[in-house]
Amino acid sequence: MDPLESLQLDKMASSNLTNSTGMLDGGRPQYQVRSSSASKRKQTFVVSGLVFCSLVSVVTTIGIVAMLIIESWGFFADDRIDLWKFLTGTRWTVGQSQGELSYGIWPLLSGTLRTTGIAMLIAVPMGLVSAVYLSEYASKRVRSILKPTLEILAGIPTVVLGFFAVKFITPYLLEPLGDFKTFNAMSAGIAVGILCLPLITSLTEDALQAVPNKLREGAYGLGSTRLEVTVKVILPAALSGIISAFLLALARAIGETMVVALAAGSTPTLTLDPRMPSQTMTGFIVETFKSESVVPGTLGYYSIYAVAAVLFLITFGITLIGQIVRKRYREVYD
Amino acid sequence: MDDLNPLDNRVHRSEAKRKLFSNWFSWICLLVSSFAIVVLITLLISIFVTGGSWLNLNFLFANHLENNPEESGIGQALFGSLIICSICGLFALPIGVGTAIFLEEFQPRNRWLRMFHGLVQLNINNLAGVPSIVYGILGLTAFVYMFGAFNSIKVNEQPSVEVGATYYYQTKTLGGDFVKFPAEAKLQPSVKIQSGKTVADTTGKTFRLNVVSVSESKEVSEKQKSQTVVRGVEAKLETRDDKSVYVASTMDGTEFSFPAKPTYSPFAKILKPIDVTGFDGETFTLNVLSKSDAVPTDETIKARSVFADSPNPKKRSSASIFRETSFFHLHLPFSKSVLSAGLTLGLVILPIVIIASQEAIRGVPDSLREAAFGMGATRWQMVRGAVLPVATPGIMTGAILAMSRAIGEAAPLLAVMGGVLGTTNGLGSLMDKTPVLPVTIFKWAGDENAGFENLSAAAIIVLLVVLLLMNSIAIILRYRFEKKLTG
Repeated sequence: MDPLESLQLDKMASSNLTNSTGMLDGGRPQYQVRSSSASKRKQTFVVSGLVFCSLVSVVTTIGIVAMLIIESWGFFADDRIDLWKFLTGTRWTVGQSQGELSYGIWPLLSGTLRTTGIAMLIAVPMGLVSAVYLSEYASKRVRSILKPTLEILAGIPTVVLGFFAVKFITPYLLEPLGDFKTFNAMSAGIAVGILCLPLITSLTEDALQAVPNKLREGAYGLGSTRLEVTVKVILPAALSGIISAFLLALARAIGETMVVALAAGSTPTLTLDPRMPSQTMTGFIVETFKSESVVPGTLGYYSIYAVAAVLFLITFGITLIGQIVRKRYREVYD
Repeated sequence: MDDLNPLDNRVHRSEAKRKLFSNWFSWICLLVSSFAIVVLITLLISIFVTGGSWLNLNFLFANHLENNPEESGIGQALFGSLIICSICGLFALPIGVGTAIFLEEFQPRNRWLRMFHGLVQLNINNLAGVPSIVYGILGLTAFVYMFGAFNSIKVNEQPSVEVGATYYYQTKTLGGDFVKFPAEAKLQPSVKIQSGKTVADTTGKTFRLNVVSVSESKEVSEKQKSQTVVRGVEAKLETRDDKSVYVASTMDGTEFSFPAKPTYSPFAKILKPIDVTGFDGETFTLNVLSKSDAVPTDETIKARSVFADSPNPKKRSSASIFRETSFFHLHLPFSKSVLSAGLTLGLVILPIVIIASQEAIRGVPDSLREAAFGMGATRWQMVRGAVLPVATPGIMTGAILAMSRAIGEAAPLLAVMGGVLGTTNGLGSLMDKTPVLPVTIFKWAGDENAGFENLSAAAIIVLLVVLLLMNSIAIILRYRFEKKLTG
């Protein structure tokens, strides 16, 4: 069949996409299109344009993957670099002029994990509770305040939150509490948590709202209190949506760049102490770009791609798992 | 105790207690939820306190000044942000809406196309989760350097494909005026290697050339030396098999070559009288005096004379290359430019635009589609006549929200344009660099000097006001959209 002719589609095909093709002839009548051949030609033309548009996003993905593979190859092909040492090493000195060259990813990776961990400790419980409140408890008036607040918070550029972290959270909240360095994992983590909070709240709320009212009514009918309905009925029913919301927020936190670039400092450290500076993977990339010393063909240039490849693999994997969880483990009602 | 009843378990506690728990929980929820409000208020107050008093008319129009925060401003940055967002919108919106229409309205029957369809959808959901800095690196590779496809060796920083630029040499006459004369691209006797990709060795085998800085060169291993050169090494013009090539050797002496292209020499010698143009537009013939001649006393002659260049190549004339660009100046690769930045941001918001447009299109009732088909419309006529007019406000809302994401993005721009804080000539064409608001905020926030912290906060206020304006437009559109569907 001519591929473009096959795009002359009908309504049934679209509504029965998930069914077998045998379903096409059953049920409602197909829409027989009786149009002039000129307008059909025009449609063919337009459809090719639309296919081209959707190719852009496919090419983007291919471009990202190809770029990361080709240019990280430039990093690992350099015989100063060993893949095993890269994955297991505990010192990172790429981009620093003095000293011995070490290129173990763990200091950067642990920096990312520290800030992300702190962010999740803040955003997950708070986001979950806020979503439960918005979905199950809040009166219309409270909702009309809370919802726009969260939307505004979600729309604040990350560089602004970075500024907030380094100029407010660190000096006014953290430094009175203890021996926090000017740039530390804690303030960056808190700011990233603030950034993830609206995301988790709105996605979790969507998941809670998707639970049919029948379940709530059934549980109330049995004499449950609101708390019991929420904890024992609604949350388990929406679990797949909630988990996928957490995973999306996690990917967002790992990939967050400007906050950590401003607040977490530019020293790669391998420690658990949240008071210490902690350069993350994204922080390292930004630091390299900021210094404008990146010349194509140098080791410093290729190291960006190697770090970006690790970052991409982690975030892509988490996003993918999130999507699978949402699709596969969704409780289907009706 | 109440719990003595054997039928009781955890669930069946006394009713009063359970209700109490439920009530407590609701208060805890309210407390936790109000955290967001507290954070937002604290954030806004801290920024206004830091930056509010620095906000004035001069700040809006002035440019960044080194060591002078009082006089610095965000004129170029604000303009640059708006231009880049326009490019980003012009690129991402049509493509995003087109993809959304394809995904929602043209679902194919053919099995392979259906797989393509599913792939695109899955792909878009995944792209939305890719960190923006990765897009920045993609922009750097695909737009700024174009995978090294257009100039495998960067020769004197000139792009290989270029329109809208004219090259001139300029020199200063004895009278102190600047004059210019057209430059001609020639095969230069030697070029400096600044960055490298692919070259061929004497046997014709191609390999990837590494370029290292002088400080890095000590660490290059023996094995690697056969493919590495130090930055700035000279390659000489030679003719091999009737082709002009530049030849140089790597660190261990392996000879390699790459094709020669005509380029402009950075300097020109002036040995005999030539026609030049003054910067007032007047054309005249330049007098060239030999070194032994006396400086002319007549001011008009002095203004049209130069000394000839000495034969010593170290003491070349000050006639140096410069480029006059028109507003349509374009070259490949795009290099670090506004266009690269706009396209990169376009890629960042593309998934957002697609997902928002898909939702808007899905919201159009099927009855409209059925009515259009009933009148014998083709699918495209149905989409254009019935679906798009109804979906447009929704699509616009999504588009504005995506643009407001774009205007606050700093990481991809930092990757694509570097941390520019100001340019001397402003924005003349798509190939120029420009400072942008988020990057300016980032650089100022990281500046240790007194005052820049306040400037950064003031710039944040401006950014937030721009965002507020964009979001109000989105809210107005959404309000209209909802009214239309219900009423």
